[in-house]
Amino acid sequence: MQNNGFLRTALGLYTALFIIFLYGPFVVMGILSFQAGPEGGPQFPIIEWSTYWYRHVFGLTPPSRVAPLPIGEALLRSLTLAFATMVVSTVLGTLTAQGFRRNFRGSGPVFYLVVLGMMVPGVLLGLGMALVADQLDIARTWWGTAFVLHVVYTFPFAFLVMLAIFNRFDKSVEEAAWALGVSPGRTFRKITFPMIFPGVLSAMLFAFTLSYDEFPRTLFTGGSEVTMPIAIYGTFAVEIHPNIFAFGVLTTLFSFALLSTYGILMAMSVRRAKFAAVQEDIE
Amino acid sequence: MLELRRVTKAFAGVPAIDAVDLTIHDDEYLTLLGPSGSGKSTLLRLIAGLEVCDSGTISLDGEDITYSPTHLRNLGFVQQSYGLFPHMNVFDNVAFGLRHRTHNPIEDSSEVDRRVKAMLDLVGLSELGQRMVGQLSGGQKQRVSLARTLVTEPKVCLLDEPLGALDANLRERMTVELRKIREALGVTFMHVTGNEDEALAMGDRMIVLDHGRLLQVAPPDMVYREPDNVAVARFVNAYNILEGRVSDGAFLQDDARLPAAGAPDGKGYYAIRHDAATIHHGSEPPEGAVALPATFVTEEFLGSRFFYFLRLDDGTVFEVERHLSREDPIHLEAGTRCMVSWDPRNALHFGADGNRIGAPAMKGAA
Amino acid sequence: MADQTVPAVGTAGPARRQSGFFARHSTWLLLAPGIVWMVLFLVVPLGMMVYVSFWTQTTFSISSDLTLQSWITFFSSETYFGALLRTLKIWIIVLALTFVIGYPTALFIGQFVRDKTVQTILLVTCVIPFWTSFLIRVLAWRPMLGLEGAINIVLLRLGIISEPIEVLLFTELSVVIGMVQIYVVFMVGPIAFMLARIDESLIEAARDLGASTWTIFRKIIFPLSLPGVVVGAIFVSVMVLGEFATASALSGRKVNLLGNIIVTQVGSLKWAFAAVIGVVLTVIMAIVIGGLLRVVNLRREL
Repeated sequence: MQNNGFLRTALGLYTALFIIFLYGPFVVMGILSFQAGPEGGPQFPIIEWSTYWYRHVFGLTPPSRVAPLPIGEALLRSLTLAFATMVVSTVLGTLTAQGFRRNFRGSGPVFYLVVLGMMVPGVLLGLGMALVADQLDIARTWWGTAFVLHVVYTFPFAFLVMLAIFNRFDKSVEEAAWALGVSPGRTFRKITFPMIFPGVLSAMLFAFTLSYDEFPRTLFTGGSEVTMPIAIYGTFAVEIHPNIFAFGVLTTLFSFALLSTYGILMAMSVRRAKFAAVQEDIE
Repeated sequence: MLELRRVTKAFAGVPAIDAVDLTIHDDEYLTLLGPSGSGKSTLLRLIAGLEVCDSGTISLDGEDITYSPTHLRNLGFVQQSYGLFPHMNVFDNVAFGLRHRTHNPIEDSSEVDRRVKAMLDLVGLSELGQRMVGQLSGGQKQRVSLARTLVTEPKVCLLDEPLGALDANLRERMTVELRKIREALGVTFMHVTGNEDEALAMGDRMIVLDHGRLLQVAPPDMVYREPDNVAVARFVNAYNILEGRVSDGAFLQDDARLPAAGAPDGKGYYAIRHDAATIHHGSEPPEGAVALPATFVTEEFLGSRFFYFLRLDDGTVFEVERHLSREDPIHLEAGTRCMVSWDPRNALHFGADGNRIGAPAMKGAA
Repeated sequence: MADQTVPAVGTAGPARRQSGFFARHSTWLLLAPGIVWMVLFLVVPLGMMVYVSFWTQTTFSISSDLTLQSWITFFSSETYFGALLRTLKIWIIVLALTFVIGYPTALFIGQFVRDKTVQTILLVTCVIPFWTSFLIRVLAWRPMLGLEGAINIVLLRLGIISEPIEVLLFTELSVVIGMVQIYVVFMVGPIAFMLARIDESLIEAARDLGASTWTIFRKIIFPLSLPGVVVGAIFVSVMVLGEFATASALSGRKVNLLGNIIVTQVGSLKWAFAAVIGVVLTVIMAIVIGGLLRVVNLRREL
């Protein structure tokens, strides 16, 4: 297949176009974020290049008809929520995947029960939870009703990542530790966990990202204290301004910072991973 | 002393270990021979507590450990795949058990240091303590795996095909070393292998396992000279085994009647060791010997001895082994007609059930 | 998946009752937190939704008297039923387009790029947009598609069109374009993953036997990539069927999907109507996912 030169070139060009398609809106968004303010709108042509909208995001511009984005507290809430979700769903995902390392009757239903969490559209789950909260007279808050749904959503991802990791994990290493007289709990801490750490990191990254960006579930269950995505959704209703684009560029940069942190953490554990790989190769 | 009583285990209804009785003494080297699928690894895992038996009991020095978790059994387990901790260096691998075991962990780091160093010396790895295990050769990994287990001073050390992943040269060296290390420490080894030479060479006693049952437990020379069962004779790979019928105290092989006094009538097996038979071409078999006509097929030279392959008239392949220290080799063309003969007193007889005629009934297997 | 030599739990006899951490309890103890969480916060809300869909809804309040009224309203209302059909239509179109547009890219990444590093770089390149908030990515299409948007400007400059294209924004087309761009990566990823796993010797063997490129694709590559297609289709379906944000951002609230109606109903506290639509959506989803899972065993593909 890959020897076909013409096909290869054609598909290569196609892929380049595909990537332009993916990035096009971003580039436009990036350009428009430097629109003049406050009179410039979210469309071409650029009246004048300026960093007005970036300053606007940080509240450094004099008050104008464009209201500042309500981001300060929303961002903090979103990060807190994402962090808590990450911790809980990674723990749940690791525990459940650990349980799945042994065949057991009923593993099928349990598997699909967990995976259902990522399959049910957010709007349904948000609705269901809102109904439950309404009936039980529970206040809807981002740290309560929304948080549990975030975990329902991200836990399956963490579970699947950990399951894939455990499927490739050499069980004999654990058995060796037990046979040396080391209890299963300690073996998990000292042997299993360090070896699966890169996987745990991926699971955490998944959970954090998904939760940070989650919005249909939060929309129904988050209550009046909004998270970041809800704040952005709020701007849908009214006229949009380039400040949202400036904010988009900033969050993208923030995401890159997060991704880099992840990359560095991975690189730090790569030494272990590399030795694990060599070990597997020889066997 | 480790005792297994009626230990039974099935996987999904298929028996893997069937009512095994076994006593393992202190300070002995026990080898366990069985073909793949015989249940030998399962037996080892049952003893180690990595599987739980369906019924039966396992006890160590009188204490019932049938359902004890692995880490409380004080048994060592050396895996074929080594199972080294890839994120630690050699020293930490070996020290791991001492530092972290539930029973009597050693807190004093100088004590850990001393013991690990002594063990690394014993297995010849004193130079490699700081190496990561990923950078070791197969033989070195094998030693780390062994050292890691032995340093915890287990009562019994279980070895699952410990030489299986090594090349032939290394295998031979490790064979000698394993015995030496064991004798130095006085720990009991139970060594599982699928290789009959290994099992014969290394064990003080040898167990032959097939289909989850013990076929014979005896010193290797006994197993070799007097296999209790025709399957054992097959596994030690040293016998020509003829399959046929016994009638009136004689084993019928084509036209020939081979004396088989004491064997009951009916189906039976007749076995003669490769090195107990001789080839006659141009000479007569000696007085009192049994002889059968055969066709020469080919020969194989193994340094100190020759293997000759012949075909009996009914098609059975017949092997003759000749040690050069005893006789000069003969050379025959393929297709040459000749005679094979042996002293009938050296022949073994097996009944229809495969058990050797005259063998003691398989009992306690102590 | 799990170690074959490990016994199936449940065959335990009385003798095994005390068998420490090998007992079945350890498995269920590990699973319990996850199961409890999912039952309380996933199964109960969904059950509640089904239950509430039979409640009695009046303009100002809702009572737990069971009735089919909301269901009848749903199926007799042109608005609601139309939204159902529109949702299905957009779902089919987006699913087909993500497949058609995504497959060649996946084919290139999975089969034509043999260097693992380049493969990873290309896949990461496709994933990077996900690091920007979903809602901002949707909004970014507005300056692309508008009358004075980037596409129209470029096309006008190139002389391809003389008048700006109007149907680009605030139509079903804009919703479809936005959704395809956002979700196509969920198609590319799994397919590329499956394609990259294909054993090269298999293709070489076929070539040695004289098979043409097209035959190799049809007989070997496509069938082996099918699990990836199915997984991708599940992802895309789940997300598109539950969509409402893209529709409200890019259609100027003109295109109402089932999701949009749920949002509106909840906004006006019409819980029972919202629940009816939720149940309808759940049933559609179950049929779609169930059908797709018949084609591929998700557990085995891990």
